[in-house]
Amino acid sequence: MTRVATFWVYLVFGFMYLPIAMILLFSVNDADVMAFPIRGLTSAWYADILSDARLGGGFLTTLFVAFPVAILSTLFGAAAALALVFYPVRWRGLFAAALLLPFLVPRLILAVAQLILFKEVSVDRSLWTVIAGQSIIILPFSTLIIASVLIRLDRRLIEAAADLGASGRSSFRRVVLPLMGNGLLASWVIAFVLSSSEYVLTAFLSGREQPLSVLVASDFRFNLSPSLNALAVLIVFGNIALVVLAEAIRRRSGSKA
Amino acid sequence: MRRSILSVGDWLALPVVAALIALCCAPLLILLAYSFFQVDFVTISHDLTLANYAKIAGSETYRSLIARAFGSALLVVALTAVIAYPVAWFIAKRVHAAKSTLLTLLLVPLYSGDLIRIFAWRVLLGAEGAINRSLMWLNVIDEPLSGLLFSPLATHIALTYNYLPFMVIGLWLAFESLDDRWLEAAADLGAPTHARFLRVILPLTVPGLVAGGLMVFVMVAGDYLTPQLLGGASGITIISAINDLFGTAFDWPLGSAIAWTMLSILMLCFGLGALAIRRSSLVAEDV
Repeated sequence: MTRVATFWVYLVFGFMYLPIAMILLFSVNDADVMAFPIRGLTSAWYADILSDARLGGGFLTTLFVAFPVAILSTLFGAAAALALVFYPVRWRGLFAAALLLPFLVPRLILAVAQLILFKEVSVDRSLWTVIAGQSIIILPFSTLIIASVLIRLDRRLIEAAADLGASGRSSFRRVVLPLMGNGLLASWVIAFVLSSSEYVLTAFLSGREQPLSVLVASDFRFNLSPSLNALAVLIVFGNIALVVLAEAIRRRSGSKA
Repeated sequence: MRRSILSVGDWLALPVVAALIALCCAPLLILLAYSFFQVDFVTISHDLTLANYAKIAGSETYRSLIARAFGSALLVVALTAVIAYPVAWFIAKRVHAAKSTLLTLLLVPLYSGDLIRIFAWRVLLGAEGAINRSLMWLNVIDEPLSGLLFSPLATHIALTYNYLPFMVIGLWLAFESLDDRWLEAAADLGAPTHARFLRVILPLTVPGLVAGGLMVFVMVAGDYLTPQLLGGASGITIISAINDLFGTAFDWPLGSAIAWTMLSILMLCFGLGALAIRRSSLVAEDV
């Protein structure tokens, strides 16, 4: 039975990586049609993408959004995780459920709801509304990552600090904070990745300045070319590198505790 | 210790709750209010009415779109459950050192973002795409299978792909907490393999199945991009109808009413699922 299961696991992981392998293949294929057989190697599609000023501008816009989103969702996520794991909080169950809400409400419904809200309070759509909207949908992920680090912390360290006369504030600053540092860093990186690849909410809330994901979506609908493969590969591998980095950081905190 | 009314935890939670109320609860409540308004030529009249909900209930189109959304969601839940079950078991029970590496590997494709994953499926499934061209090249077929892309098939393949990792995670957690001694006891008592599966393993992993299933269900029912970009004519979903009503059709109140109809059904499913998990874990503790 184990052998059948092993085969199945290989198959499923193959399925998960098949689309990524395909775009990687066609991003270096020297042909206008994305189809087999492979004609030869080229780096032309990458050159296309890297010299495209419009996409370059979109990339800068994405960075402009992703940096603050990652900081905000990590800060709020840290506060939420501390309240859930370490300090007693009133109505804990309700608080945890509320944190899940932005994740569970369909993205498009939350996007139109926020659109109406910003209209009602007369805030024009801009990158700032994108930052606010994205921060709230990424909050559940940040909270989860930081909480997963906090759960593995040894509570006796805090008790020891208290026994040695540390006040609540100084035991937080000198014991808890250094130990949760890796969680914060991991959350920041993952939030950055999630922010840069978010599309539906971003499209609804952005004004004239459009981040990369919105530009890619319009190319995708109206202008399908092999250079999109190259762009997709750059995005996928950029993201994978960051996610692996975040996992390594998060795990390091586990082995120390 | 009761010196102040608010504890440290409350102070930490306060800004988070404020943000959640401002950017999640308030928008959804305003959406709820809009669902009782009505469009009057080009303005929105604020007289309260149930007309929008009556329109949804009376419309064959909207009813069938809603039914189809939940039908799709159930189908994808079933597909992911069957595919994920052996994977979750394998990761929980047959792997030791590589456990977290496998889980990370499973999650990594998720981080490439919806758009990129859909784009990749389009490359794979298109008439000029990888699967068709390869099959023709290998002389399995003479002309491209046209039903591959822009069809419910394409949509459901991509949806299954998108949400499979969530089902694996849910089931994996259940398998991790499954005590192998139950199986040994069942075997000692002479239960054959299929009885051990049906009467021990399956009931004990139901909470994971329900938890993973709920996540997949909610996400498939609310998915906008996948049917839109891969489904072709079948890409019109209840969610895309909401999008149209907020865009070109300019009927925000009707769009809001559809959104809240969907939210209510989803909340109901979620409540029932949570109840099922609680009951099945109570049963598991009783034995």
